[in-house]
Amino acid sequence: MAREEKVIGVDEAVERFVQDGCVLGVGGMHMHNNAMAVIREIIRQKKRIKRLVTSPSACTNADMLIGAGLVEEIYCSYVGFEHLGLALNFRKFAESGQLRVRECDEAFSVYSLRGGASSLPFHPLPKGLETTSVPKLNQEDYKVTKDPFTGEDVLCVRSVQPDVSIVHCQKADAYGNAIFEGSKFTDFDMIKASDKVILQVEEVVPNEYVLQKSHRIDVPGMLVDAIIDAPFGCHPTASHKYYTYDEDHLKEYLKASKEDFSVYLDKYVYGIKTNEDYLEVIGGREKATQLMERDIPW
Amino acid sequence: MVTALARGLKDKEVVIMGAFSALPMLASRVAQLTHAPNLTFICGGSGAVNPVLEPLPYSSCDDRLLKAECIYPLPDVIDLEARPEIDVFFAGGLQIDAKGSCNLVGIGEPGQLKLRGPGSVGLPFLSRARRFIIYSMAHNTRNFVPEVDFISGPGFIDQEVLSSGPSMVVTPLCVMDFENKKMRLKSLHPRVTVEMVTENTGFDLIIPSDVGETPLPTQEELMHMRRIDPMGAARDSVQ
Repeated sequence: MAREEKVIGVDEAVERFVQDGCVLGVGGMHMHNNAMAVIREIIRQKKRIKRLVTSPSACTNADMLIGAGLVEEIYCSYVGFEHLGLALNFRKFAESGQLRVRECDEAFSVYSLRGGASSLPFHPLPKGLETTSVPKLNQEDYKVTKDPFTGEDVLCVRSVQPDVSIVHCQKADAYGNAIFEGSKFTDFDMIKASDKVILQVEEVVPNEYVLQKSHRIDVPGMLVDAIIDAPFGCHPTASHKYYTYDEDHLKEYLKASKEDFSVYLDKYVYGIKTNEDYLEVIGGREKATQLMERDIPW
Repeated sequence: MVTALARGLKDKEVVIMGAFSALPMLASRVAQLTHAPNLTFICGGSGAVNPVLEPLPYSSCDDRLLKAECIYPLPDVIDLEARPEIDVFFAGGLQIDAKGSCNLVGIGEPGQLKLRGPGSVGLPFLSRARRFIIYSMAHNTRNFVPEVDFISGPGFIDQEVLSSGPSMVVTPLCVMDFENKKMRLKSLHPRVTVEMVTENTGFDLIIPSDVGETPLPTQEELMHMRRIDPMGAARDSVQ
């Protein structure tokens, strides 16, 4: 019997693994390693997201799903665009009450996924974090209990196990053994905490490549359910060591989300069928070359 | 601003910064190359420990930070913040108040925010850093307020925390520190007057009788800044 290869089309992966009303995890951090090819497909298939889980700092991965009107609530530690400004879909939907924000912080994002990864019922936090407004704003996910050893009050967070997570890394073989060529952010904990994992990659490498570098493999294939071969699939965000973020496009995105976001979605999401078509619409080979060729220090 | 931040760092300290941090990244590297060769700095989400910054990127998670001494995974960086092993945390906010608390949640009442902020990210860990330095890209009565609407990062609050609190505030106008847990003007940047600072601060700042001028960058500091930041990422950060 042949071993199952997990490389499938993005449409099939979303149909099979992203259920309406799911708890969805999206990996990457700030404008880096956002698995946008898969996220655009979720928007095309109009999958409703009950709750969105992100790394401590989300960007277009959360903001685009929110702007498409698909997200009911979000665990929010940060959604923004760093030096390019605030996330305007997130802002609009949160301020109008269309998006329910479960206020949280970086500690929540990290420890809730760690708790989820280890199947801990909850995760206690180091002392001091109870002094901010965050636990008061989100009494559903932050609770105080007694430390059974010292009898002192201890603030805890709910553990989180997404139904499915969408994570980008640079390389994987057909069985899902995967390598992050740059920063891993909180993606490995997200993978471990999730029931299902869709892994978007820049390139699929032979199994022999993995066998030669097993000490550098970050994710064992058994944790991965589907692999999406999507070169430039993080655009308009960066894929570490492959290409940088597309600042001109991100500015166009922010302008559209200030004015009429449906124009952006029509042009770059609904009107697109394949990853190849998308790459043409954003500027083809010329744009790709521009984002890849830069002064890199390593 | 960069050299004021750099001179606020001491040799052998461990320093950490989060999102939108071109200024503290550059300041930490300049400190390393001048008076603090044994300083260690960690660029938040990227996990880059002592990146060479050739060149300084705009984003705190940029892959150009990967030329570094270590890429420490973010959950492990959080372990450091929790232990606590961080001497200096760089902080900022939509609102900063007289006691040095920072707010990134938003502006307005809970449930009826006039401005939804991005979220608190790592600021709650200010309670566990040995001290923290506040930097702000703007200085006006909207962001320097008597009391923050929400506490993302606690300054001098009523509850006791591990941290000794905020030690310095650097803005495009001036450098400030704290006296009896309240913000105090320390030095004015060139061409800035005391009136310009007080008019742009939403609370009564302590004004000592001997307000100096923020020392200008030395030739050596300028040389390092120009070499590390040819794109002007630090300059572009300031409003």
